[in-house]
Amino acid sequence: MSRVARPESLAKRWAGRGPERQLLFWVLVAMTLGFLMLLGAGPKEGYAVRWADLVPLAGLALSFGVAHLLLTLLGFRGDQVLLPVAAFLCGIGLLGQFRMGAFSGNQASLLDVLILPGGVALMLCATLLLMNGRYRLLAPPLWFWALLSVALVALLLVTGQRFRGGVYAAGYVTPTEPLKLTVVLFAAAFIAQHAKALAQWSKPIPFPPLRPLWPLLAFAAVLLGLLLVQRDLGMALILSLTLLALLAAGTGHLGYPIYGALGATLGGWALLSVFSHGQRRVETWLDPFQDPTGAGWQVLQGLSGMYAGGLWGEGFGQARPQYTPIAESDFIYAVIAEELGFAGSALVLVFFVLLIGRLDGIAARARSPFGALVATGIATVLAVQTLLNVGGVTKSIPLTGITLPFISHGGSSLITVFVGLGLALAISDGEPRAGRRQSGRKQSERRPGTGRKGSVSRGSRSKEAAVNNRTSNRSTSRGPRQPAVRKSSDRRTRD
Amino acid sequence: MELLNALFVSAPWATLRGGLHIAFLLVALYVLKQVYDLRAALGLRHLARPRAGFRFAVAGVALLFLAVLGYQASWQLSGTARPAFVAFMQLHDRRQFNPAHWIERGSILDHRGEVLAESRAGPTTDGQRLEVRRVYPHGPACAHVLGYTHPRFGTSGMEAAANVSLNGGSPETLLDWGELTRQLVTRDKRARGHDLVLNLDADLQQLAYERLRGRAGAVVMLRPADGAVRVLASSPSFDPNRVDAGLFRGTDPDARLLNRAVDGLYPPGSVFKVVLAAAALDAGLDPVLDCPAEGFTTSRRYPRIRDHDYYAARRAGRTWGGHGRIGLDRALIDSSNVYFAQLGVQLGHEAFHRAGDRFLFNHRIALTEGLSRSQFMRTARIEPIATSDRYGLAQAAIGQGKVLVTPAQMALIAAAVANDGVAMRPRLTTGEPAATLGRFMSDATARRLSGMMRRVVSEGTGRGIDTPELAIAGKTGTAQNPFGASHSWFIGFAPASSGQAAAGLAVAVLVEQGGYGSTTAAPIARDLLLRAQQRGLLP
Repeated sequence: MSRVARPESLAKRWAGRGPERQLLFWVLVAMTLGFLMLLGAGPKEGYAVRWADLVPLAGLALSFGVAHLLLTLLGFRGDQVLLPVAAFLCGIGLLGQFRMGAFSGNQASLLDVLILPGGVALMLCATLLLMNGRYRLLAPPLWFWALLSVALVALLLVTGQRFRGGVYAAGYVTPTEPLKLTVVLFAAAFIAQHAKALAQWSKPIPFPPLRPLWPLLAFAAVLLGLLLVQRDLGMALILSLTLLALLAAGTGHLGYPIYGALGATLGGWALLSVFSHGQRRVETWLDPFQDPTGAGWQVLQGLSGMYAGGLWGEGFGQARPQYTPIAESDFIYAVIAEELGFAGSALVLVFFVLLIGRLDGIAARARSPFGALVATGIATVLAVQTLLNVGGVTKSIPLTGITLPFISHGGSSLITVFVGLGLALAISDGEPRAGRRQSGRKQSERRPGTGRKGSVSRGSRSKEAAVNNRTSNRSTSRGPRQPAVRKSSDRRTRD
Repeated sequence: MELLNALFVSAPWATLRGGLHIAFLLVALYVLKQVYDLRAALGLRHLARPRAGFRFAVAGVALLFLAVLGYQASWQLSGTARPAFVAFMQLHDRRQFNPAHWIERGSILDHRGEVLAESRAGPTTDGQRLEVRRVYPHGPACAHVLGYTHPRFGTSGMEAAANVSLNGGSPETLLDWGELTRQLVTRDKRARGHDLVLNLDADLQQLAYERLRGRAGAVVMLRPADGAVRVLASSPSFDPNRVDAGLFRGTDPDARLLNRAVDGLYPPGSVFKVVLAAAALDAGLDPVLDCPAEGFTTSRRYPRIRDHDYYAARRAGRTWGGHGRIGLDRALIDSSNVYFAQLGVQLGHEAFHRAGDRFLFNHRIALTEGLSRSQFMRTARIEPIATSDRYGLAQAAIGQGKVLVTPAQMALIAAAVANDGVAMRPRLTTGEPAATLGRFMSDATARRLSGMMRRVVSEGTGRGIDTPELAIAGKTGTAQNPFGASHSWFIGFAPASSGQAAAGLAVAVLVEQGGYGSTTAAPIARDLLLRAQQRGLLP
C-alpha cells in the first residue's frame, strides 16, 4: 500500500510541510495588514485602540499556527493548501465582523472570541482522529447518520423558535447546520455501497434503478419534507444539490444530475406556488425596484455599498457597510465588496474556488470511494453554499438567507465547516501503510483515473489495486506505478 | 499601543492606509502566486492518480463564480447604466462617499440654452448632508414633456427617456469605456451627467401654456423642414417641482398626467378637411358639387349633414340659400360640410383608408431616438368603415364619427402641407438627425392646399386672425363632441409664402369644449406665431 511512508524524522516532517507554513505565514501577514488598516480607522471615530483589539488576530494566528505545528509533529501527509486558504477566509471573516462591531467594546463575549479557535480545534480533532485511513470507520454506521440527520431536523421542529423567517433552536443555534455533514456521510456511505446497482439504468428509456435507490429517495423525501415544513428552503437546496452531485460522482451516470435538474425545476415551481415567502423573494429578485424601501431594501443597500466601493473599495474601516441590514452575517460579502472593492471580493472568490478545487482534488485522488464521495460532498456543500450566498447578495439569484462559509458571523455554520474541513484533511492523508503488499501488473489498466470518464464506482472496483499503488518518491503522478494485488484484508478495512 | 494610536491620528496615516490597502491586496495575490509556484510540492502524490471528471466539475464551479462576478460587476462597476439603481442610491443611500450622490444630473435645456430642468445641490432640511434637488423653472408649462423625477414615483417624460444620459450615461463608445475605466481606476467620481438640449422654445411653450390655462387643451408647434418640436404643451398640467400622490389616483377628474398633445384622441371636425382635400387631389378628384342649404345624406334614414352657415342663419331667424355649386377651394375656405361629405363618398372607402395609411393613422411615432427609452406620439385612430356604410364615410370625411386624431398628428399634417407634402419625424432633442417619416401628399397637392389654407385665413372662416404682419395659412375646426360642447381646433403654418413655409412653423391648437375654432383656437395660434416671429423663429 502506501509507498509514501509517513516521514519518520522530525526534520523531514518539518521540511515536508514547508509549503503550508510558508502560505500560512503570508496569509497572516495579509491579515495583520488588514487589521492595521481596520484599527487605524478607530481613533478617527473617537475610539482608541486597545491591546484587547488584537485578540481576534492573535486567536487566528495562534489557532492556525498550533494546527500547523500539530499536523507537522504527527507527520500528517495530507493537503497543505486547505489550511492557509481556510485561514485567509477566516481572517477576512474576522476583519469583516470586527469591522461590524462583533468584538468591539465590552460587549465582546467570550464566545465570539472562542468560536474560531474552537472550530480549528474541532477540525484538528476530526483530522487526527480520522487520518491514516480511519475515516472509513464512518462508513459502516450509515443508518446512524441517517437517523441523526432526521433527528436533528425533528429536534429543531419541536424546540425551535422563529426569527427572521427561519426556525432556530434556543440561543439562536442552528442545529440543522451539522446536517451538511451527516447527510454527506450517509449518502456517501450508501452510494459507495450500492454504486454498481445505482449505475444500472434501464436501457431503452433511461430511468434510474428504483430498487437500490429507494432508501435514499425515502431519506431525502423525509428530510426535505421536514426542512420545508420549517421553510428552510436554502438548506433543502444545498442538501438536494449535494445528493445529486454525490449520485453523479458515485455512479458516473449523468442521468442523475439531468433528472435531478428536471425534478428540481418542477419541485421549485411547485414549492414557489405554495410558499408565499419564497415567491416574494423571487419577485424581489426580479425587480427590487418594485418596492425599493421594503422588500428590495436589503439587497439594494448591499448593492449601493458595492457601487460606492467601486473597483478598489474604500479600505477596511473606511466605508459604511452598517447601512446594509444584517450585514455581518448573510450580507458579509457586500461588506467585503464595499470595503475592498470589486478587486477584493474577486480575490475572496478566487480563494473559494481554490478551496473547492482542492477539495475536489482530494475527492479525485482518494483511494476509497467512500472517501472520494465524502470529499465530493463537502466540496459540493461549500460550493453551493458560497454560490447561493454570493449570488443572492449580488442579485444574481434570489436571496436564500444562507451564510457565507468561514466568513459570515455564525457559530454553528463555522464549526460545521471546520469539522468538514477536518474530515477532508483526514481523507487527504491517505491510507495506512500496509507492508504486505506485492505488486502485479494485471490490474494496472484499471486504476482509477486511467479509465475513461472517471466515476468513483469504477474506482471502487479497482480500489484494491489503487490502494496499493502509492509510490514513495514518485516525481510525477503519471509515472509508471506498481499495481497491487487484491488483498482480502483490504476488503475488511473498507465499508 | 499609544504609539499606534498616535500613528493612527497622525497626518501621514491616510497615505499609509492607502499603502496598507494596496499591500493587503498584493500579499493576498502573492499567496495565490505561491500556491501556483509550489503546485509541484503541493500535489497530493501520495494518493491515487486523479479520476477524470472532477476537473470539469471544478471548472464548472469556477465558471459559475465567474458568472456571478460578471453580474456583480454590472452593478458595482457600471452601475450608472442602471438608471433605477442610480436613482435609488441618490435617494436612499446614506453613504456620503457614494459617487451616485455626486452625479450632478445633467440639465435639460431648450434650443436656445434656457434651462428647463436642472439639479441644484443644497443642504438637507436637517443640514446633515448635501442633497441634490431637481428644479423645473417653468413648472407646469413643460411638465408633460420633461416629466418628473421623484423619490417615490420615479421618473417620467424626458427625465425617464434620457435618464441614463442625464446621469452620465452608459458607456457606448470605446471612448466612454476608456473614461469609465479611468474613473474606476483613479477613483475619480463622475461629477456631472450629460446635458440634454431639446428643440423646445421655452418662451413659446410658456405662452402656449398660459393661453390654454384654465382650459383643457394642447398646443403643438413644429418646424416643417426638419420636425424640430418647438412647443408641446398640454393643459391641465401639474407642477413637477411638487409631485403629489393625488396625481396618480385614477380618479383625478382633470387627468393632469395625460399628455393631451400626443395621447389625447379627439374628433378633428373641419380641420380634417385638409386631409380629405389632399386625398381627393392626389386621387385626381377636384369636382364642382352642388351644396344646397338642406344638406346631404346618403339615405333618408340618417340625419342630413348641413353647413355651419345654415345653423347660424337659423339661430338668427334668417334663411340661408346654400353655397350652390362650388369647387374644392371655395368649399375649404368656407368649410362646407355638405361639399366634403359628398367628396368623401365620391372618394370611396378604399381610397379613404389608403389615404389614412398614407397619413400614418393608427400609428405611434417616436419623438426621441437614440435614448434609452423613447417618448411616443399617437397619430390617429380610425376604425375601419364598412363598405356598406356610406353615411359613416360621409361623416368621417368631415372629421366626425369614427375619426379621432391627436393634436400632434394635426400639427404634423399642417407641417407636411408647408413642407411640400413631406412629413418629417417630430424631434424633441437637437441631438437626433432629421428624418423623413413619409410623403403625405404630392408636391402639387401640397402647394395647392397651401394656397387654399392661406385663403381660409385671408377671406374664409379664419379671417378673424388675419394680421398684416404675418401671412398665416390654416384651417379652423369646430368638432362636435358627444360629451359636451364642441372642441375648438386650429391647424396652420406661417409664413404662407411658398419657399419659406418649410422654414417657418406649423401649429395645431386644440381647446377641449372651446366652441368655435375661429374664436378660441385660432387666436392662440396667431399669438404664438406672432411671438415666434418676434423671436426670429420665422424666416
